[in-house]
Amino acid sequence: MELFLQQTVNAFALGGTYALLALGLAVVFSIMGLINFAHGELMTIAGYVLMYCGLAGISFVFAVPLALLASTFAAVLMERVAFRPVRNSSGATMLVTSFAVAMILQVLFQNLISVRSQPVLLPEALSGSIMIGGLVIGVNKLVAIISTVIMLIFLDRFLSKQKYGIAMRAAAEDFAVARLMGIRANTVIAGAFAISGLLAGVAAILWVSQRASVDPLMGFTPVLKAFIAAILGGLGSLRGAVAGGFLLGFIEIYLAAFLPPALQEFRDPIGLGLVVLVLLMRPNGLLPAASLKAEKV
Amino acid sequence: MKKTLLTTGILAMALSGSAYADTLKVGVATAQTGALAHYDGPVVEGLQMGVDEINAAGGIGGTLKIELVQKDVRSDAAQTAIATQELVDAGVKVLILPCDADPSLAAISIVDSAQVPAISTCASSPTLPMIGGDYMFANFPGDNVQATVSAQWAYDQGMTTAYIVYSPDTQYTSMPLYFADVMETLGGEVVGKDTYTLGQQDFSAIATRIANMDPQPDVVMTSAYEPDFPSFIKALRAAGVTSQVIGSDGIDSPTTFAIGPAADRLVFTTAGHPTENSAMAEFNAKYKETYGEESQTVFNAIGYDLAKVIEAASLAAGPDATSQELRDAIANLENVQGATSLITYKGTNGMPVREVTLIGVMDGKRQLIGQPSPNPAIIPAPKMQ
Repeated sequence: MELFLQQTVNAFALGGTYALLALGLAVVFSIMGLINFAHGELMTIAGYVLMYCGLAGISFVFAVPLALLASTFAAVLMERVAFRPVRNSSGATMLVTSFAVAMILQVLFQNLISVRSQPVLLPEALSGSIMIGGLVIGVNKLVAIISTVIMLIFLDRFLSKQKYGIAMRAAAEDFAVARLMGIRANTVIAGAFAISGLLAGVAAILWVSQRASVDPLMGFTPVLKAFIAAILGGLGSLRGAVAGGFLLGFIEIYLAAFLPPALQEFRDPIGLGLVVLVLLMRPNGLLPAASLKAEKV
Repeated sequence: MKKTLLTTGILAMALSGSAYADTLKVGVATAQTGALAHYDGPVVEGLQMGVDEINAAGGIGGTLKIELVQKDVRSDAAQTAIATQELVDAGVKVLILPCDADPSLAAISIVDSAQVPAISTCASSPTLPMIGGDYMFANFPGDNVQATVSAQWAYDQGMTTAYIVYSPDTQYTSMPLYFADVMETLGGEVVGKDTYTLGQQDFSAIATRIANMDPQPDVVMTSAYEPDFPSFIKALRAAGVTSQVIGSDGIDSPTTFAIGPAADRLVFTTAGHPTENSAMAEFNAKYKETYGEESQTVFNAIGYDLAKVIEAASLAAGPDATSQELRDAIANLENVQGATSLITYKGTNGMPVREVTLIGVMDGKRQLIGQPSPNPAIIPAPKMQ
């Protein structure tokens, strides 16, 4: 039982990180219909800011907001430079653009920073662990869970109470009608990118605090997981992205924890098989977006 | 007409002959980007340094300059095969292949049919030359030898129960299976095995499983490398596992020494250590002079070793040697003084005999534990995992 609880805590921490990642993709997708594969590179940017802050001797307490600022700013810039010119093009054009942005950024990191991974100095407190009710919980797990909860509450408040948040929800539901109501397209889309950049930054800090290094290609794995989670939850639905992220985290951890040793090698295919199974039963994802209701994928 | 052809032929031969006599073309198909760049990047720095040094002294034997023809294979197996073919077509006499058995294996058929000797920069899987055939060489202490050294050390320290975490994704990451073999041969017990996927970010499930064992294993061995290894050891320590952790050469990088308290008491095997007045200390001093900063990893010195091996083989085979003659010369090299160790290929199948060094991490600093000679009787035979 204790082992089960312990693994559940692990699953919450990993699922929370996936949820933040998937939300980042979903926020942009819900409004623009773009799956931004350069989302991972926003994480890399936040990671490099943490690294440079460590080198410059800036305390982690200040490094974190700087990293969040950097990824938010980079996301807005990305929209302005790369995605605005293709905003009205087909989904495929935007998808290819996002791949191009990702590759260009990776090459820039490789040439301007280093092809090799760079160590990131982290506060020692993050590596420790504490006892809660007989469970040993790693501090960075706890931080992951807490920051996921904070981000989710913040996002929920923002989308339901704030003017810009409501505008974004309206745009997500029907962009054309929202524009007729006087909502500025540029503002809403830039806002969506800013939020996705902020989410990427938070996820990057959690991600980097586990691996302790940054390298130019580190964004690929997380964006892939986020993509799976977003599809699983229902593409374009924010609640779905959160649900998909948590479900993916739970699947991964429980399989790693409780699959018999002989089957452990097949953990990944079994995990993805479960994802396919869920999609067979719910083709539009766990909590599909309203706009997708009529379509069967 | 016939006469003209003949003269042109002779002229062409004379021209190409003289061109070949002045330079030894070495094809370098390594991963300068992607996951293996952590290793191939530093290796090529060291190789370039060695080559520059040899060329500055007039070349091999004072006459034969080394020309490096470089291609980036982006840590990709298919790209390695393409680059190798291009280099063979460009007429290189020796090939340098990436730092992992898997991409190097992708080039085997090309290497074999072109009969050009190929040396992997730092692949350590003993299966590489075994599968690769006569023309494939490695440049690193084998996985089975490294595992023998670390298992023997652990056993001698009184650690008798071992837990291994390996990945079947590559030859190298299955090194812990050799460790398990040696541990059992010595009389120890392997109490658990776990697998992971390359690039796996989260090790908390495995860490929790080990933490919940009663008693915890004496030693946890893995050959995971960046970025997996830091995640692994941090998860392990955060879950409350206090066992000795043993790693291998893949974690000989600055990140490992920056992990902090979680990596304290970590022990890993690698290819060398700059003890006082050693060849490696001399190399590190030269490195600092050339690049203006301290060498951060043993893979710089490993690259320099490559230059020395090529120089020694070319000296033995003569300046006009064909690639086949160079292959035979490499296979017969004995006690070449490299930066990390003495290197011997004679009597092996292409996996060199080199020193293995045990390094301990203490407060983020590198500490030499020892450079023991492995007991040949207990070294496991190379096997495909």
